Amino acid sequence: MVAEVRKLMKRYPSFVLDEVSFDLERGKITGFIGRNGAGKTTTIKSMLNLIHPDSGDVRFFGMPIVDNKTGIKKRIGYSTGTVSWYPRKKIRDIVDIIKRFYETWDDTAYHKYLELFSIDEIKTPLELSEGMKVKLNLLLALSHRSEVLILDEPTSGLDPFSRNELLEIFTKLKEDGTAVFFSTHIISDIEKCADDIVYISRGKIIAALPKADFILKYSVDGETLEDTMLRMEGGMIHA
Amino acid sequence: MRNILRKEMRLSASVLSYLFIVFGLMFLLPGYPILCGAFFVTLGIFQSFQAAREANDILFSVLLPVAKKDVVKGKYLFVCLIEACALLLMAISVILRMTVFSESDVYRSNALMNANPFALGMACVIFGLFNALFIGGFFKTAYKFGRPFVSFIFAAFLVTFIAEALHHMPGLGVLNAFGTDHIALQFVLLAASIAAFVLFTLLSYRKARENFERIDL
Repeated sequence: MVAEVRKLMKRYPSFVLDEVSFDLERGKITGFIGRNGAGKTTTIKSMLNLIHPDSGDVRFFGMPIVDNKTGIKKRIGYSTGTVSWYPRKKIRDIVDIIKRFYETWDDTAYHKYLELFSIDEIKTPLELSEGMKVKLNLLLALSHRSEVLILDEPTSGLDPFSRNELLEIFTKLKEDGTAVFFSTHIISDIEKCADDIVYISRGKIIAALPKADFILKYSVDGETLEDTMLRMEGGMIHA
Repeated sequence: MRNILRKEMRLSASVLSYLFIVFGLMFLLPGYPILCGAFFVTLGIFQSFQAAREANDILFSVLLPVAKKDVVKGKYLFVCLIEACALLLMAISVILRMTVFSESDVYRSNALMNANPFALGMACVIFGLFNALFIGGFFKTAYKFGRPFVSFIFAAFLVTFIAEALHHMPGLGVLNAFGTDHIALQFVLLAASIAAFVLFTLLSYRKARENFERIDL
């Protein structure tokens, strides 16, 4: 396991993240699916210690994140959708600062992905399209040889072509041994590339298992994954 | 630590923070409340906090492989660096007014505060208050800076008003010393003000670290 999430709890006045548990494995793509407001971002932020869970445990590479934040952050990459850091600074200048924080920064990988993603480092993030912003965030994460990529809604707001392109990149990364964990509310993204599914609804994990097992367990004959999830989510609301 | 300071200076900072250091030279202006120069320097620093918030700087910094307390330290170091540069310009102005221009009519007939070590000390107090009220206040939430800045404005102008008024009080004329007059007292006041700056900054830094550690981002 590269990451273990155990019984994460976070209480807000109108929302509870309720004992969220799942694992991430090396060389696998895990799709974190749930409707808007289901608790995906809260879970991801808790995993990264950006918010303080009331209870529960998050471990990366066998180490608890609360005690090993700096070391763990060097080995993971995080991207939150299309948020752009320092929108008016040249990408080249941003990278020049970031790389100094990572002993593992790999200039060869940086230039490889720069070319692969067709990013012009003279541009500023403000000049990039939404899809390119996601790619830039990925580029930064990949250039320090992240072993785990945690991506919050990376495909939201992207056109179908860019989404497809991104999912293909995930597949390539997985083949290189990277664990990719991405949240989405777009079921077809999961259908296309995920090995494992973590399904969250109203703050609770409904299922966390390989996609094939998920289909076997929850789908009825002739149903697509999308049909299954819509049926399950509908059942959850009317429960 | 060098990396986080470099990040502050090259990514988070607004160019105005650097440009407004020049307001330290307002210590050369006759007939003007010179401590406003210190306030304008802080106005430049405020621009960096505004620019940083628009650039999602705090979240970006926390995601870097550094401890959360180092993010706070980076901000304080950057601000202290700007303040130190401004104080250097103010100190040069004070030295010029104490030596070369000590007999200048334009300064001697100045009804407002003279630029001397006491004035330099008051600038230190204003910077200390900025660090305590503004930066300390900012790190209570890591995004709200309106109220902290307004409280600093009140404090800064209160200090300016008091400093400008004091030497008109009976027996306190020595505060407005020219040249090397009352030099020992002037330096004692400067040293006390520097101590106040250090105290305000360190106490607020420690509190800011604690507050920021508790914040959910």
